[in-house]
Amino acid sequence: MADVLIIMTMGLPWLGALAVWLTGDRRPQVQHRLAVGFALAAALAALLLIGSTSSAVELRIAVGGAFGDFTFVPDGLGVFLAAVATVVGGLAVIFSVDYMHGEAQLGRYYTLVLLFIGAMAGLALSGSLLLLFIFWEITALCSYALISFYNDDPKAVAGGIKALIITQVGGVGMLAGALVAYVYLGDYQISTLLSRHQELPSGVLAVLAFGFLAAAAAKSAQVPFHTWLPGAMEAPTPVSALIHAATMVNAGVYLLARFYPVFEGVSGWTTAVVVVGVVSALLAALMALFATDLKAALAYSTISQLGYMVYAVGVGAVFASQFHLLSHAVFKALLFLSAGAVIHAVGTRDMRQMGGLGRQMPFNRAVFIVGALALAGLPVLNGFWSKELILEHGLHDGPAWAYGGMLAGAGLTALYTFRMVWLVFFGKSRRRDHVHDAGLMMRVATGALAVGTATTWLLVGAFGDLLEDSLPFHSLHVEPAGALLEEIVTAPATLVALLVVALGLLAWWFRDRLAWIGEAVPQVGQAAAADFGFNWLNRQIVDGTARTAEALRTTQTGYLNWNVLGIVAGFVVVLVVLAVG
Amino acid sequence: MSALNWVTLGVLGLLGAGLYGLLITRNLIKVVIALQILVKGALLALVAAGQASGQINLGQSLAVTVIVADTVVAVVGLALAVQVKRLVGTLDVKALSNLRG
Amino acid sequence: MIDAVLVAGTVLCAVRAIRATQLLSSALWLAGVSALVSILLYRLGAHQIAVIELSVGAGLVTVLFVFAISIAGDDGLTEREFLPNWLALGLIALFAGLLGWMILPLEETGVAAAEATFESVLWSDRALDVLVQIVLIFSGVLCLVTLLKERHTSAQRQALAGKEERERPSAAASGNGHRPGAAVVDPAPAEVEEIHA
Repeated sequence: MADVLIIMTMGLPWLGALAVWLTGDRRPQVQHRLAVGFALAAALAALLLIGSTSSAVELRIAVGGAFGDFTFVPDGLGVFLAAVATVVGGLAVIFSVDYMHGEAQLGRYYTLVLLFIGAMAGLALSGSLLLLFIFWEITALCSYALISFYNDDPKAVAGGIKALIITQVGGVGMLAGALVAYVYLGDYQISTLLSRHQELPSGVLAVLAFGFLAAAAAKSAQVPFHTWLPGAMEAPTPVSALIHAATMVNAGVYLLARFYPVFEGVSGWTTAVVVVGVVSALLAALMALFATDLKAALAYSTISQLGYMVYAVGVGAVFASQFHLLSHAVFKALLFLSAGAVIHAVGTRDMRQMGGLGRQMPFNRAVFIVGALALAGLPVLNGFWSKELILEHGLHDGPAWAYGGMLAGAGLTALYTFRMVWLVFFGKSRRRDHVHDAGLMMRVATGALAVGTATTWLLVGAFGDLLEDSLPFHSLHVEPAGALLEEIVTAPATLVALLVVALGLLAWWFRDRLAWIGEAVPQVGQAAAADFGFNWLNRQIVDGTARTAEALRTTQTGYLNWNVLGIVAGFVVVLVVLAVG
Repeated sequence: MSALNWVTLGVLGLLGAGLYGLLITRNLIKVVIALQILVKGALLALVAAGQASGQINLGQSLAVTVIVADTVVAVVGLALAVQVKRLVGTLDVKALSNLRG
Repeated sequence: MIDAVLVAGTVLCAVRAIRATQLLSSALWLAGVSALVSILLYRLGAHQIAVIELSVGAGLVTVLFVFAISIAGDDGLTEREFLPNWLALGLIALFAGLLGWMILPLEETGVAAAEATFESVLWSDRALDVLVQIVLIFSGVLCLVTLLKERHTSAQRQALAGKEERERPSAAASGNGHRPGAAVVDPAPAEVEEIHA
């Protein structure tokens, strides 16, 4: 049963991609329906798969002794991520019916989105390092192609290439890790690595650990690789919600959580993870505070929240990180989709040109505020519970300076969230023309996510059992739901965090009186707007790659004989080196 | 000298002849012929290596892939040559440098 | 001894295939190379591969070459070459000499007895290879379909469309799509072209 469901979860989106592509762009209605149908069917299969969670290999494709079998393991981590990918994917596709209405080249759009959903489910479920790498790269490819979807816009093309190059840098780290593991263990299976990692020499294990950390940081847009994510905002908004907020960027956190038992013993690794998480959370929160582009602000807040998850893995709170991943996937997809409805209606992403939109878009304002309150970490919504859980673990198990940083980050989060809501929906209207509220399909998608934002924390107990039962190597001990929730409510850490959030709120309320701070240290704002120099650094890397390629162009004369001469000469050089060495 | 060593010499000869053809020829169909000779050398080398290491069947399995790939290359290469002749009017590879850097 | 003769014959055929001035004789020398290689393969103990090589390499591919040459014609191309001949020969001699110096003489190291059968090695140990082969054949067929369909250069197409316009005024008037003639006569190539584009 489980094997059929696994095949359906991955195969249905890919089948749908093929069907949409073959339908052709002359029948957009058929394309919309096919995409929605296949995406929802895959989501259903993934939800059913939760019922047959186990730590055993449920699907094994034999590809011969040379490569090891391709295996799929529906354990708690994998099933949960696959469910998030397909469900949020389904909602994003539903949203696209309105958002992409009348756009050209719908076939390319839906094909890539469905291809991505299938690859993401495969990434989550695969039990072989080689297969994990293949799916990892397919998601990167889809991300690149969708960022550059409007390929007559140079900004979109540049953003796509930047994202591709930076995630590839991380992907090399992952490939190196997988190959090293294969050399020493003779097997690509993840379970082999988890159970026999003691056999690896410590230096090799360190290569593996930091290679995977680089891959995770690049994929999850963590410092210093984070600059591709704001550039990725050129993608159509449903894509930003799906790939760059709810699913693909979580793959890095997933990777760290998956291999935490292997790497926790590597000296310096957990500290490095904590540092990456704290620095990302704080810097990105500051940048979100100064961003004027609505989607860029959301992108920075995604980096910041991913920093919380990375930090949680660093202090050993794997369950808390995954719980926050679930919450974040739901409320950030909600925020992105309702921001997409705003952008669709207004026609600009600049928050300075919005304002007072709440009266004209009451439904959209309501769902956006639900998402914003969850992001700020106010009680009862899912973001509150998961963030408090992370902070509590951080207080008990992590270094004090990191906890302080994360607490400050929570305050900043509240501050930039209220700023965002205020600029878009309240205040003086800066536009005369009438703006229409979100369409029916948009309401369906955002409404479902708003309900999810208010309720997914109720699943904490079931989610804990799911992870505890099916992850034999993580030795998780999750308390029952009631005790866990009670602990969060009564812990002093929660009170402190809420106070900080309230401080953030107050800071926004008295922003006029606090304006002197901004004037006293204008460098902070400028530095944040300039991305603290990281953008410059990453642009050097991307430009350097492009310049080298450009310089190498002169070697291409277009004559075949010339190319063959190069090949033969290279071969002779290799032979000489071998003969001498 | 054993049979295996003679075959190894043959591999060297085939590789050399194929590369030499690729270096000097300008005719697109001739390029495909030179590629075929090159791949025959590789094929022979794989089987000889399999024989030398006592794994002749592994060598054969790899050789099957080589033959399939080689045939696909020949088919696609010839189809390309026919189309080039039709569109450009010549089989000269020097005429095909539109994409030069 | 017979191996030495076979090897010498193979290399001779290969050189003649490269040096031949006519494409057709070149293709026939190639068939000779293929046949001799398959005999060598058989003598090395690779019985199954020898048969495949003989039928595919010497048979099918030669037919394809003859077919392609008869369509594309022989250009001759006697102009000066890109590289001086002595340089090319010298480079190749250097390459082959170095390679030979490194690998010769070849020693038999393994024991042949313990190995699994060809079928089990191919279908279970190298299953991924078989999968890749299927993908390869499939993409090769796709390439052929797109390459060999009737495609016209844009200038030819405009001329053709204009001609059809004149010949079929009624069909054009009824609004039967942007290429009225093609849509009526043969819808298949238009669709293939769409995918390709």
